[in-house]
This record gives sequence, structure tokens and C-alpha cells, in this order.
Amino acid sequence: MQFRKIIDFFLTQTITMKNILLITKREYLTQVKKKSFVILTVLMPLLLIAFGSFIGFMMKSNQTSHTFNVIDKSGLFQGKMKSTDDLKYVFVPESNEAALKSTLKDMEGIDGLLIIPKLENQDFDALEKNTLLLINKKIGFDTKIKVGADMMDVVKLEKIKLLGLSESQVANLDKKFDLATENIVDKNTADSDLSFAVKTGLGMVMTYAIFMFIIIYGVRVMRSVLEEKNNRVVEIIISSVKPFELMMGKILGVTLVALTQFLVWISMAIVGAVFFNKGFTTIQQTVGMKNLDLSQLFSLISHTLLDLNYPLIISCFIVFFLLGYIFYSSMYAAIGSAVDNETETQQFTLFAIIPLMIGIYGSFSIINNPDGPTAFWLSIVPFTSPIAMMARIPFGVPVWQIVLSIGLLLCSTLLMIYIAGKIYRVGILMYGNKATLKELWKWIRSS
Amino acid sequence: MLRAENVTKTYNAGKKTALADFSIDVPAGSIYGLLGPNGAGKTSFIRIINQITKADSGNIFINGKKLNPDHIKEIGYMPEERGLYKNMTVGDQLLYFGELKGMSRNDALNQAKYWFEQLNIDQWWKKKLSELSKGMAQKIQFVVTVLHRPKLLILDEPFSGFDPVNANMIKDQILKLKNEGTTIILSTHRMESVEEMCDYVALIDHAKKILDGKIFDVREKFKKNIFGVTLADVDEGGFENFRNQFGIGNYTSNHQLISFELKNENDQNALLNQLMKIGKIRSFDEKIPSMNEVFINAVSQNN
Repeated sequence: MQFRKIIDFFLTQTITMKNILLITKREYLTQVKKKSFVILTVLMPLLLIAFGSFIGFMMKSNQTSHTFNVIDKSGLFQGKMKSTDDLKYVFVPESNEAALKSTLKDMEGIDGLLIIPKLENQDFDALEKNTLLLINKKIGFDTKIKVGADMMDVVKLEKIKLLGLSESQVANLDKKFDLATENIVDKNTADSDLSFAVKTGLGMVMTYAIFMFIIIYGVRVMRSVLEEKNNRVVEIIISSVKPFELMMGKILGVTLVALTQFLVWISMAIVGAVFFNKGFTTIQQTVGMKNLDLSQLFSLISHTLLDLNYPLIISCFIVFFLLGYIFYSSMYAAIGSAVDNETETQQFTLFAIIPLMIGIYGSFSIINNPDGPTAFWLSIVPFTSPIAMMARIPFGVPVWQIVLSIGLLLCSTLLMIYIAGKIYRVGILMYGNKATLKELWKWIRSS
Repeated sequence: MLRAENVTKTYNAGKKTALADFSIDVPAGSIYGLLGPNGAGKTSFIRIINQITKADSGNIFINGKKLNPDHIKEIGYMPEERGLYKNMTVGDQLLYFGELKGMSRNDALNQAKYWFEQLNIDQWWKKKLSELSKGMAQKIQFVVTVLHRPKLLILDEPFSGFDPVNANMIKDQILKLKNEGTTIILSTHRMESVEEMCDYVALIDHAKKILDGKIFDVREKFKKNIFGVTLADVDEGGFENFRNQFGIGNYTSNHQLISFELKNENDQNALLNQLMKIGKIRSFDEKIPSMNEVFINAVSQNN
């Protein structure tokens, strides 16, 4: 019954396309002409890069190096505990112990004194028990674990030697097992670590992009509705066009604004990728990953990106973005029409934000297992699919799942437009009384 | 031009009635006043004509055709709550609203120019609305309403917010539009502001039409045959007799002038003859009730 009503709603709407386009045009031009739009579009990518570097810098600058004096009575550790950039061992003669202990408190540049007792009767447990690290300031949990691990390596080696193995045999024991994988569906060899990382990164970027865009531009639709309601221009407009046309025009206008911004950003990204890809051929011979410098890494990433099925990814991105965005922004339009000012919107925007949150946090688990059941359901259910599908798509998704997901999303988007249209029509002329959910339900049911 | 038949509109699932069985007939080329207090149902009716809301029952015809979306182009509507986009320039705004009413861009441009000359505001074209004063914005609002040359002009509280100078200017434009053949519906709760403009009125109270007709007839119907008289050089004795005959209570005596009101349901000329005998007639006029008085009387009669 209800279903029929909804179908009738779309079939019997005598929508004047010209009106919708006029409204779309106005909405688009006003928003694009705003200074804030131009600034945001140009500056955002730069800001993101700056932000990323800043985070990297912060992480780096929080690392401090520690230097420990070591008194090794056992003689086992000398020369075997390797100093690194952030952890330095300085071995000192045993005779200095008393002096060092007394001056440790005021020592600058030395963070602690590691005292290792004599090893007696090969009793390593006793050695562990009696080893003591004296410190004069907090050194952090990480450092403590590292020192312990360094010592363990030495002890382990000693223990193995006791078992009668030579050093080369020991080295052989630790040899890594490199597992080769081959994906028989894709015919390509399975992801290398780097390409897995790139796909994960791409999935996260697209997921976040859709999430942010839906929220930012959904709220923009809501604001625009509220603005017209508040300056009362809405009554004049709907004396010329249908509320439904006004709502759709507005949503489409803001969609175009979002797409414009996207196009600018995507072209910036592609230009960047192509630019860095140029260097790819020259470093293909370089097998070891360790020695790659930053530009080589960029070029590898860019190559992986261009190696993906990016026409599919971009078109899926646009389809899911558009549908998801229209789905949520009609929700936002309805919210904007039902209230009088922005502070009142909060109780209703929860309905729009919670599913998005589930989608974005669910995507974290999707990245770990792109074909798992959580990934499947989150990318099929319309509320979360625009976001979750994007996390999966770089890893390859069966076509039927994409089709099913788009189909469901399309239907729910139409349903959401229907519901929003009903609320909007009544809401924009209601002033002064705060709408309750019960009232909204009544508006939806009213013919 | 416009005929409403038994229009009923309720809100809140029938709990609140905005219009009950409301019928009026607005003749083409006339100014029709919808008068009544706030909340009487005027705006509800106007919104139905503008197809913003639907009536629960009843019909509306424009030029004999049942109200339909094509009529929207023929109607110009200025709502009581005025509203325009604050951050759009005046020019863009006018073109936008014109196009929404189905005008071509050129047509809208030409009309806008015409009105800008009429109202002496051509220097505002590139200004944003937020830069204009309230009175200026009101003028733009009026231009928005009439830009597409509507055949039916609906103005809700047309003079609220205008200063007297601008109100007169708009009044003149309304009369001019009327002379050009536009049918105009004015809706207001301030009855004195429109009574001299209206040809016809309908009085609305509590969702019901109390009374309608030509404004002249409506007033005639409620006049109480009271006349105001001022006499000079009064003959004291004759006046005493006259007072007793007509039961005149209070009168004011100022220098040589005596003023009073009297009720007379007989021939006025005979009355004048009588008055001529007791003094020189300075003034003699019939007290026609204002629309306000008519309204109050009509409401009390109705109850």
C-alpha cells in the first residue's frame, strides 16, 4: 500500500525541469561565488599535506634518544648490545660502579646505569633477577622494553650456543619464510606489501572523502533551507514553484558545488600521480625497498595507483558519492525545514550522523578483511554502503555486489527523497513550534 | 475573475479550522479587500489561491477555469512576511524571480528596468539586498511581485513596513495597475489603510465570511442614519423645539456655531428645510461608518 503511494508520488509529480534547473543554477552560483569556497578548494589539498607533515614532525620530535652506561660483570654483553640512534649503550669498566652510582643523579646526557651481574653456573634466571637499570628520569615504557629485548637477544644467543650450535647455524634458524601468493581470480600476483598499503590508503582516503563531503555538504543544504525559511523568501518561491522542485533544485545545486570541488581535487591528484610516475622506470631495478628515497617511494605509490582499475574506482566513487550524498542531503533538507534555527537541528542531525559514524568505523575493520561479513553487510546496507563500499573497492569487489549495493542505495535514496519531500513541504511554512518526531511522522503520512 | 466556492481548510487533522465554507467572487479589474483580524483565515485563503496549500474541499476558479498550476504565472503574490535573499544583488534577484515565474531573461530585464524607472531606484541594480534599508527592500519586494505582469495581484498587508511616503507611492502604483486592468486582492487587518482603495470587500472572522459586497453597499447597510450638523446664527427658540423633536442630547456651542448629531430616518431634504429655519447651515453630512465600525457591528450581529 505504502509502496504504491511512493511510486505514485514519483509518477504523478509534474515536475517542471526548468524550475529545478533555475533553482540549481542559483544555488550553484551563489555557493561557488563565495570567497570561502574558492579558498577552501585551493587551500584544502595544501592544508592536508601540511597537516600530514605536521603530524609526522610531531611524532618524530617526540622521540628522544637515551644513553645508558653499562657495567657488564658477566662479560657476555659487551659489543653485542648494538647502539641505535635513539638508544645508546656505553660500556664502562666495573671499577667505576660506585662513582657512577653516586653521580648518576646529577648526570647530564646519561639517562641510566645498567648493571649486569656475573653469570654463575649458567644460571640465566639469576642473571635476569639481579640485573638492574638505575635511572635518573622517566624513560618511557618503550625504552624499557627495548633494553630488555636487546638483552634477551644476547641471552638467547648464549643459550643456543650452549646447546652446541654454531653461529652460522643460528643465523640459519632465523631465516625469514617469504610466502609467495597468487590470486587465481585476478590472474595478477597478489598484493605486495606496498600495493596493499596503497590500496588501504586509497580506500581510507575515498571513505573519508565521502564521509566528509556528505557531512559538510549535507549541512550546507540544511543551512540553505534554513536561510530561506528564516528570511521568509521561501513563501515567495513556493508561490512560483513546487516545494519538491525547490528541494531538489537545492540538493542538485549543492551536489554540483561538491562535484566542482572534487574535480579540482581529483585533477590535482592525478596530475601529481602522473608527475611522480615518470620516475618509475628508472628505479624498477632497485629491488631492496629499504634504500628508496622519498621521491622513489612516491613514484612507486603513483605507479600502483595508476595500475589499479581506476576508471571503475572513479565511476563507483562518483555513483556512490552522488547517491549517498543525495540520500543524506535530502535528510538534511528535511531537518532544515522542520526547525527554526540551527541550534534546534542537533537532535535531528544525530539520525544522519550515527549511520555515517558506523560506516566510517566499520571501514577500519573492512580494511583488515575486505571480503569479510562485516565488510559485505556494511557495503550493502544503504545507510553505510556509500562509505563502506569505498573502503572495499580498491581490493576488488564482485560485480553483483556492486550492482546490488547501487540498486538498494538507489531505491532508498528515492524513498528518502519521498519522505523528505513530505516533511519539507509542511515544514518550510511552520514557524515557532518545535517539531517532534511524532509530528514529522504525521507530515509524512499526510497526503 | 476569481471565484471561490465553499472553500474549507483545516489543520491538525481537522482540529483547527482555518476557513469554513468560504465563498467570494472577485470581479475582474477591481480592488478587493479581504478584511479581518489576525488569524481570521485570510492568509490561509491566499495560500490556497497561490497553490502553496490545498483546500480540504471547495473549488476556486480563475476566469472560469479551475485553479491549476498554469495559473501560477498569472498571479503575483506579496506575502505578509516579506523575504528576499540578503546576499544576492538586486538585479540578479529580480531576474531569478522573474524566470521562476516563467519569464525569459530579456523580458524580465525589460520589466525590471521599467519598474526601476517608475520607482526611481535604478541606481540599486548592483547592490546587495543587505546594503539596502528596510524601506528600499520593500520597494524591491513590490517589484518582485509585479515583475511578471500578473493578471491577479495578491498583496498581504501591503502597507506594513512602508513609511508614509513610500506607502503613497505604492498606493499610486496599485491604482495604476488597477486602471491597466489588473485584478487586485488586498488582505489586511488594518482596515483603515485600504478602505478608500477597495471597490469590494469581504469581512472574515474566525474562519468565516461575515459579509461581502461593494464597499459602498456594505457601508450603506451599516449606516445608522446619523447626520452631523453645524449651524450658525441659531434661533434659540426654534433650536429648543428642534432639540425636543429629535431628542438631541449633547451639542457643542462654540462662538456663534452649534454642532450636534441627530438620527433621521425620513427624507433628508425635509430635514434640511427644517434646519434652514433655525439657522444658517454651515455643514451637513451623513455619518458613514468606517470599515472598522462596520466590522465590529457585523461581528456582533453575527454572534
